[in-house]
Amino acid sequence: MEHYDVIVIGAGHAGIEAANICEKYGLKTALITKNQSDLGKLSCNPSIGGVGKTHIASEVDILGGVICKIGDKSAIHYRVLNLSKGPAVWGVRAQIDRDLYAKNMQKYIKSSKIELIEDEAINILQKNNKIIGVDCINAGKIKSKVVILTTGTFLNGKIYFGNDVKEAGRIGNSSSKELAKFINKNFKTMRLKTGTPPRIYTQSIDYDILDPQPSENNGIFLSYFTKQNTNKNINCYITKTNNKTHKIIRDNLDKSAMYSGIIKSQGVRYCPSIEDKLTKFGDRNGHNIFLEPEGLNSDLVYPNGISNSLDKKIQLKFLRSIKGLEKCEVDQFGYAVEYDSVDPRELKNNFETKKIENFFLAGQINGTTGYEEAAGQGIYAGIHAVVKLKKAKLDNKIFERDNSYIGVLVDDLTKLGVTEPYRMFTSRAENRLKLRTDNSYERFATNISTKIFNKTDYNLINKNIANEKKIIKKLESLKYSPNDLMKKKIKVKKDGKIRNGFEVLKFLDPTTNNFKDFFNIAINQKLLTKIYFDSKYEVFYERERKSFDQLNKNKNMNLTNIDFNKIPSLSREILEKLNKYKPVNLHDAGKISGITPSALFQIIKHKRIKGTKVA
Amino acid sequence: MFNTGTIYSNFTPLVKSPVIGYRISGEDVLLILKKLTKRNFFKDHSIMKLVELHNIDGTILDKCNVVYFKSPNSFTGEDVCEIFIHGSPLIASQLEQLFKDFNIPGLRLAQKGEFSFRSVLNNKYSLKQAKAINLIINNESFSSLEYNKKILFEGDSVSGLAPLREDIVNLFSEITASIDFVDDEEFNFKKIMKKARGFFNCCNKLLHKNRTKIEQKNICRVMLIGPVNVGKSTLFNKIIDKDRAIVTEIKGTTRDILSNQIIVDGKKFEIFDTAGQRSKQGRIEKFGYKKAQKLSKEIDHFFILKDKKTKNRDLNQLYKDFDINKNFTIIETKSDKFSYKSKNIKINHNLNREDLFKRINLSRIYKKYIAHKNHILEFNLSEIEFLEKILEYERDILNEKDILIIAQLMRNILDDFSYEFGYINNEDVYDRVFSNFCIGK
Ligand SMILES: Nc1nc2c(ncn2[C@@H]2O[C@H](COP(=O)(O)OP(=O)(O)O)[C@@H](O)[C@H]2O)c(=O)[nH]1
Ligand SMILES: [Mg+2]
Repeated sequence: MEHYDVIVIGAGHAGIEAANICEKYGLKTALITKNQSDLGKLSCNPSIGGVGKTHIASEVDILGGVICKIGDKSAIHYRVLNLSKGPAVWGVRAQIDRDLYAKNMQKYIKSSKIELIEDEAINILQKNNKIIGVDCINAGKIKSKVVILTTGTFLNGKIYFGNDVKEAGRIGNSSSKELAKFINKNFKTMRLKTGTPPRIYTQSIDYDILDPQPSENNGIFLSYFTKQNTNKNINCYITKTNNKTHKIIRDNLDKSAMYSGIIKSQGVRYCPSIEDKLTKFGDRNGHNIFLEPEGLNSDLVYPNGISNSLDKKIQLKFLRSIKGLEKCEVDQFGYAVEYDSVDPRELKNNFETKKIENFFLAGQINGTTGYEEAAGQGIYAGIHAVVKLKKAKLDNKIFERDNSYIGVLVDDLTKLGVTEPYRMFTSRAENRLKLRTDNSYERFATNISTKIFNKTDYNLINKNIANEKKIIKKLESLKYSPNDLMKKKIKVKKDGKIRNGFEVLKFLDPTTNNFKDFFNIAINQKLLTKIYFDSKYEVFYERERKSFDQLNKNKNMNLTNIDFNKIPSLSREILEKLNKYKPVNLHDAGKISGITPSALFQIIKHKRIKGTKVA
Repeated sequence: MFNTGTIYSNFTPLVKSPVIGYRISGEDVLLILKKLTKRNFFKDHSIMKLVELHNIDGTILDKCNVVYFKSPNSFTGEDVCEIFIHGSPLIASQLEQLFKDFNIPGLRLAQKGEFSFRSVLNNKYSLKQAKAINLIINNESFSSLEYNKKILFEGDSVSGLAPLREDIVNLFSEITASIDFVDDEEFNFKKIMKKARGFFNCCNKLLHKNRTKIEQKNICRVMLIGPVNVGKSTLFNKIIDKDRAIVTEIKGTTRDILSNQIIVDGKKFEIFDTAGQRSKQGRIEKFGYKKAQKLSKEIDHFFILKDKKTKNRDLNQLYKDFDINKNFTIIETKSDKFSYKSKNIKINHNLNREDLFKRINLSRIYKKYIAHKNHILEFNLSEIEFLEKILEYERDILNEKDILIIAQLMRNILDDFSYEFGYINNEDVYDRVFSNFCIGK
């Protein structure tokens, strides 16, 4: 019988990242998937990235992950959202060729030392609440020290087309009953819902009358390491629903699974079905539909914006009422999926289950949605498996809330749990100004090593960092008085303060020419943008640092005499928890599930107001 | 410790009085009543019952009224009972001893504010309402009393801050959406900033309007002055109806300033008794007289008391020493002993209080100095301070062009609102985002 360090079950985004990082750290790793052809399949929309999502993806990238690299290799269209708002919230989004992505991913995995097992896991084997292996249909029992389960929405999945119900994970997958039983028996689960739009044949769309959305291939990629995208880039197109469409849908709401009352589970507020949009925002004249090509050679289009669970006939009818889709043909109709996910509060902070040692869960099974969120959890669970098996040490700071979106994700999931599929928004991060996609190499600096990067990548990072250091050093050696700056037409307070070049940078218009003229230093635009915002946000970083420092310094703050009820800004739930668990100090309080950092700040603030000494 | 166990406390002062009230709240109320009265109150809720309270040895502690309020229909939302014992602090202490002797786990004396807290916790009152209860009890002015009563009886939504809270959550939601969901709806920076300006303008207006209102006085200050022994303290005592000032025949007994607040016809007055003026003052009297002189700047109205013995010279000295202007009434005292021909108000110590008040007519004086009576404020003082704090962000936000920095500062404002109104978390913001904007594909 084979003996592995790690077995990863499920080869979606979470599973791939988990297996990949374990392998890179030298663990003997197996990846179990029912079908090799499923490996790297994009199950939903053919795009990666966007605001919040890119943020997680770029962290996975710098942690040694693959989603961005393979994404760039397979991208056929780029857009950068929020470009006018500063890099903290830039969201590069790439349209991905499905076939290319799967092909590139399979090639990559097969070239690695990961052992790919085509089989179906039917049970998790444990002894004294500790993992000993996995039981598979064909291979039987396989031993392993760690198991990472990343099987997405397979748990008790149900698919709804109108009033038609089917049992399945995703189209073409049978729900794995045995494994589901094991999970349901051992962990608290909850029922979630998601939807998907129909897929339309490209040839049946009249593009001539639609507005194209060209690719903006402007040098901003998903991965830090990508230098260029050599694929042919193609357009997306925009169309809109209209009053006729709305009438068809409204008249047939009783034929929608989500509205006829068959589906009772919680849907996603930020991913509404077209039925939802019409019910909530009926006064609009039309809702945008983005026609996203599924690939260079694919004959399918993903119409983003009209996920629904209407009866098939009605779907076709409303589609054909839309401009450009009058003669459309449908390959696969839209549907709603209902599935169980594990309450993520069943997990420890390292994504190991509290009940079974060395058993990790990652991805959609934890109640999240999205490729990037899954990838982030996969690599997180993988890294912690590595740490658990003592193959590497981890600087825990990198996964604190104030340092990474993955940290925010993990903290939110394990402490607060979820009520709807969890998606990342930049506004979830208190420290948003700092958690930028263009500085992830700084935030994860302590984790960058030759173990996770090949020579080329490793050298590239180091070269860039050295260059940046050199420029910053030069900038810091330049000194300017308010008078000097006045002469250069820069308005600052006449406070007599001497500012160095780095401090002055924020007053400039950040173009490379300006920079060269002002400081007489050559710089590339990418780096300039990065350090310009470093300069601009420095005061805020300082403030944030202080409050987090305060949190750290006050970790031992005695709470035994504090009356939490006198702190008006704490929510009832938090109050109840504090009163129930009676943490002895701030550190303890922070470990209670549901206690947010902002709650901790409120406690410190309260103590300060009440005149107690606070560090 | 807080929020667990059954709690009790007296809700009237523990002094000799007709009754002393005790309130008990928590899950063991019925058990305590059973032990105390030997009868079951389970069905007798919200009715006052005359019962005997028994000591553990069976002897009777008191015979008194008891009301049981069944959860959730009570002040705290828990089981509550109120016991009205005879007003002897000794009986009260025996009752408290009895509670201890019952040895019921978790039964304890309530901490300050704990009953109110439980009512907040059980959604009987909002945080603001509980604060309002406190403010009503410790209330200083009638106008804010009315305001706090409104919050208490009608809920948070009547707070002048409530619309601002709505505005800021909406504004923050729009900013959040404009960053996180750029391609779902059209957002316009200029429009957002216009709303931000609108928000701060609104804060400024409210602040200005209410600050002037709060600064407006609602208490009328009246000072009694006059020569020694003219009868100032006698009048003072009559007005305040307490044996506070010492009245005596020896000249110069009122050596410092005494003052007392009274409410007449719903109007609030502060009355000052002063040391009289005479040529030979003792050191302490001189001090008292000086102090009164100093205070006279803050006085609205003077009652100048004189009698037959009062010389013009004495009065002139008073006009000189005090900041009187034209704000005075001359009152001639001891009209039982002396007869006067003037049109001045005449009083003597034999008048009953009612007749006396008719003559000195405090109400008319109040109207002269206090313009709006009983106006209802839109804010209380703590809310005014809060507004001032919010406005500290105004310049930074309105001058900023980076929406991320604006969002960061707005978040601070939101946290401040959390402190005032209870917690506003990300989910509240997202709720607003997803109901105001059509987000998502
Ligand atoms: N007959 C008479 N005696 C009065 C009257 N008012 C006060 N007195 C007496 O006058 C004396 C001085 O009164 P007091 O109020 O102490 O005068 P003050 O020095 O102005 O405060 C006391 O003996 C009082 O009893 C009054 O209306 N009639
Ligand atoms: Mg006197």
